[in-house]
Amino acid sequence: MNKRAVFKSRWLPILFALPQLLLIFFFFYWPATSVLTWAFSLEPAFGGAGDRLFVGWDNFREVFADREYWQSVTLSLVFAFTATALSMFIAFVLAICVDRQLKGSGLFRFFYIWPYAIAAPAVGLAFRFIFAPESGLIAIVNTWSPDLWNPAKFGSHAMILVIICFAWKWIGYNFIFMTAGLQSIPRSLIEASSMDGSGPVRRAIDLQIPLLAPTLFFLLVLNLTESFVGPDTYGIVDLTTEGGPNGATNVMVYRIVSEAFQGLNYSGAASQSLILIGLIMVFTFIQFRFVERRVHYK
Amino acid sequence: MIERTPILNMVTYFIMIVGLLLILGPFWMIFTASTQSLAQVNAVPFTLLPGADFLHNLQAAWHRANLGPAMLNSLIMALLVMVGKIVLASISAFAIVYFKSPLRHVFFWLVFMTLMLPLEVRVVPTYNIAADVFEPVRWLIQTLTGIELSLQWNLLNSYSGLVLPVIATATGTFLYRQFYMTLPDELTEAAKMDGARPLRFFIDILLPLSRTNMLALATIMFVYAWNQYLWPKLMTTEADYQTAMVAMTTLVPNINSLPEWNVSMAGALIIMLPPLIIVAVLQRWFVRGLVSTEK
Amino acid sequence: MKHFGVKFAAMALALGLGATPALAEKVKFEFWHGLSGDLGERVKETCDKFNASQSDYEIVCTSQNGYPETIQNAIAAYRAKKNPAIVQVFDVGTLDLMLSGAYIPAKKLMDDNGYKIDWDNYFGGIARYYADSKGVLNSFPFNSSTAMFYYNIDAFTKAGIDGAPQTWEDVEADARKLKSAGFDCPFGFSFDSWATVEQFSAIHNQPIATKNNGYDGLDTELVFNKTKVVDQLTFFKKMTDEGLFQVKTAQLGMDVVPAFASQTCQMIQSSIADHGTIGKTIKPGTKWTVTMLPVWKGTERKNSLVGGASLWVLKNRPEAEYKGAAAFLNFIAQPDMVEWWSTVTGYIPVTKTGFDAMKANGFYEKPQFAGREKAIESLTYTPAGDLTRGIRVGGFPQIRKEISNAMEGIFFGKMTVQAGLDQAVERGNAIIRRFEKTYAGQTLN
Repeated sequence: MNKRAVFKSRWLPILFALPQLLLIFFFFYWPATSVLTWAFSLEPAFGGAGDRLFVGWDNFREVFADREYWQSVTLSLVFAFTATALSMFIAFVLAICVDRQLKGSGLFRFFYIWPYAIAAPAVGLAFRFIFAPESGLIAIVNTWSPDLWNPAKFGSHAMILVIICFAWKWIGYNFIFMTAGLQSIPRSLIEASSMDGSGPVRRAIDLQIPLLAPTLFFLLVLNLTESFVGPDTYGIVDLTTEGGPNGATNVMVYRIVSEAFQGLNYSGAASQSLILIGLIMVFTFIQFRFVERRVHYK
Repeated sequence: MIERTPILNMVTYFIMIVGLLLILGPFWMIFTASTQSLAQVNAVPFTLLPGADFLHNLQAAWHRANLGPAMLNSLIMALLVMVGKIVLASISAFAIVYFKSPLRHVFFWLVFMTLMLPLEVRVVPTYNIAADVFEPVRWLIQTLTGIELSLQWNLLNSYSGLVLPVIATATGTFLYRQFYMTLPDELTEAAKMDGARPLRFFIDILLPLSRTNMLALATIMFVYAWNQYLWPKLMTTEADYQTAMVAMTTLVPNINSLPEWNVSMAGALIIMLPPLIIVAVLQRWFVRGLVSTEK
Repeated sequence: MKHFGVKFAAMALALGLGATPALAEKVKFEFWHGLSGDLGERVKETCDKFNASQSDYEIVCTSQNGYPETIQNAIAAYRAKKNPAIVQVFDVGTLDLMLSGAYIPAKKLMDDNGYKIDWDNYFGGIARYYADSKGVLNSFPFNSSTAMFYYNIDAFTKAGIDGAPQTWEDVEADARKLKSAGFDCPFGFSFDSWATVEQFSAIHNQPIATKNNGYDGLDTELVFNKTKVVDQLTFFKKMTDEGLFQVKTAQLGMDVVPAFASQTCQMIQSSIADHGTIGKTIKPGTKWTVTMLPVWKGTERKNSLVGGASLWVLKNRPEAEYKGAAAFLNFIAQPDMVEWWSTVTGYIPVTKTGFDAMKANGFYEKPQFAGREKAIESLTYTPAGDLTRGIRVGGFPQIRKEISNAMEGIFFGKMTVQAGLDQAVERGNAIIRRFEKTYAGQTLN
């Protein structure tokens, strides 16, 4: 963060920093203070209680005592880990294949990136149709035996549906980083190993995976964060299952927004938000530590 | 490196083709569904061949969701956010990198911390402030001086409201900061020797140099802004400012209507096209933008 | 000189006119509602009619696409002091509004603006839902409905059934006959608590919550896990297991109304407001009708609850807008408007004069509207009693969600009826307690 040659000016850096400072003050930190106050009080839906009721940690106690909250945490964990694993695995296999640079792999690479361009709600809408129980691609299984597949009815099916949406969308992103990572492995290393007589599969396991480890780790943390708290998760759930059936896909982000807006429970939503912010901090910390270490490595 | 591995090559191609089906399959489904009639689209098993109702469905979706103005709104929003983020990122990073003030660390951390406050967790109060931007200012002035001001600025149902709350950019700032760091100090020294003032240096030297950076950032930010959902959904109660992403939700087959998936999919197709074109045509820049912002 | 004076006066007059644009410019005010589709179009028509009827005000009607969305957006806008003058709030949002302090009571608004409304003209059962404890209306009944029982006469004839089912025993017997006559779905139902829990409780005189369904205090508690609702859901569950009843929800691809209109299911319970929609979408020539919801044999039937929504006037607007709002509310309360509105929608007329006018016109004898008078009969079957005047429970929209969640668990999952209802009650009570704490110190008036 240090340059030797710098300018001297009192007003210019302030002027240049000011727009962003104002924006983050107005739209990030000021709202965050409201979240903080609400989390420790009972905020009436229409506001204007005047003498806000300070309730200490009551809201948090209520949240932690709620079985459904813990169910939501569990669901978020299941969702985050499964979607991340699925997305990264597929992206990794495709990246390794493309990295062999066979004829025409450029074309494959061109298409593999596409899913990342599609907005989460659009992905949700499309997959809701593709996986609808009564029409679309998968409906045929229900003609073999009724209710073989029915995300409207079975919580597990609904969960599978949202996981597929997220995993599919993020294949593109993961693929981009993995190909970039693979390309940065010196060709000479691979050639040397092939002269030692190890085949492509061997090389992938012995050489490419370990050397790709930093990228994989970075992607792992990022995917987990995004699936846990990201806007994509909200968009997908909102357009497919709306948290149902019977709360089976009511993941934490979705729960917060619906608790605030449908439930008109701003205080409960605020305390859940604070918990989530805490989790994001943990994720960010891990990521930051890792980035730092990698800089050292270089 | 020449290796003869015909079997492995075949396996590789096989996997790549399966992967391609996996990626393009949904796109094909969306497309075929949007070309079929109501009966075809609800037929089980689903036919993967296009029907003859493409134009009809596109029109139906276009009219029903009022996509004309919605697409225009999305475009305006995306372009404003894109330009805004680039401007903010470049000047903020300039302030951080090229000046030695102890405050720059504070500034950097303040920007960095915003990453931990996603919209989902602060959405209700953000709505409040968008409705009355100067609320904190009035509050501050009143507590400090006791003077009550009647200053007001409402962002709801306006382009500023769509843009301003999502325009602050930590990732863009990092990207620019990193870019400035890679520039040699000699450049600055030479410029200073020539008597260039910081503003000149920024406009004449830094900005032109950062063109590739800018383009990369522009592609990802356009896609990011186009795909915004939660904020536009809450902020716009007037149809005049509805974005395409929000308009799309009105095409979801709902309770008391026919399952017109063909129209839904036609709408989805229209809406996903602009970012898809960016990614397809400007793929090099897009990839570059993504890879460099996240590292 | 004299000449000049006249000229000057004329000029002043011209200037004066120019300086008072209020004479030419209409006062604009907003009205947010939750109806969409066909019903949304009807609301738009209502607004157009009002705008055409006078030249002082212009109402701007905006659909928020759904009742829950409307109250959410209105609250967000109210907090930001950017709310509409009039907002449509559904029945169960009544208490949330009543305690908000965010509205101008209906009677006060009309008195302040010099309108004489004959408040006794509203049907008692409808008015008491939206009135304070003294019977004074807080909001304006607008689109009112109640739950009815729809059945397909053609299917009944084919199965050899004569007449409408009066009791649930009849429904079971009819379902069996329909099933053996080859109908796959004799009775379709969704997880909507309104018909299955709330209306069922009212007509069977069962409490939904203590303290007379919350009318006597915020310290009310849900009790529908200890009433006949348990038996009712157990019956539904048994029928579903036998394949006589079928779950029909939008997530499954088809809700009850399209299921009935497409003749997939032969019997459903749904709002009288769907009468118009079904009439328009069912295959022409099909014979079908509505009747009052069945009761269990030996039960003394009570009046059903009014559903739908009412119009609230929110604070924070300039005085001129309230004049417009009052004019609009007065406009839609006129007998001819009440009649028109009920004709084109299927909602029931909310005033006695409106109903009488429609009866006198022979409205209910027209084949396409026949049966709609049953809704009034159901609503006024008995005078509204302690358990049948409404539900005054805070956070009830969320409690409905808990009930439908529980029903998902009961009918799709492995939950028993009792466990499901216990869960809904427990979680619902938590919502009520939080509501009580939030509004501590406020009393129901």
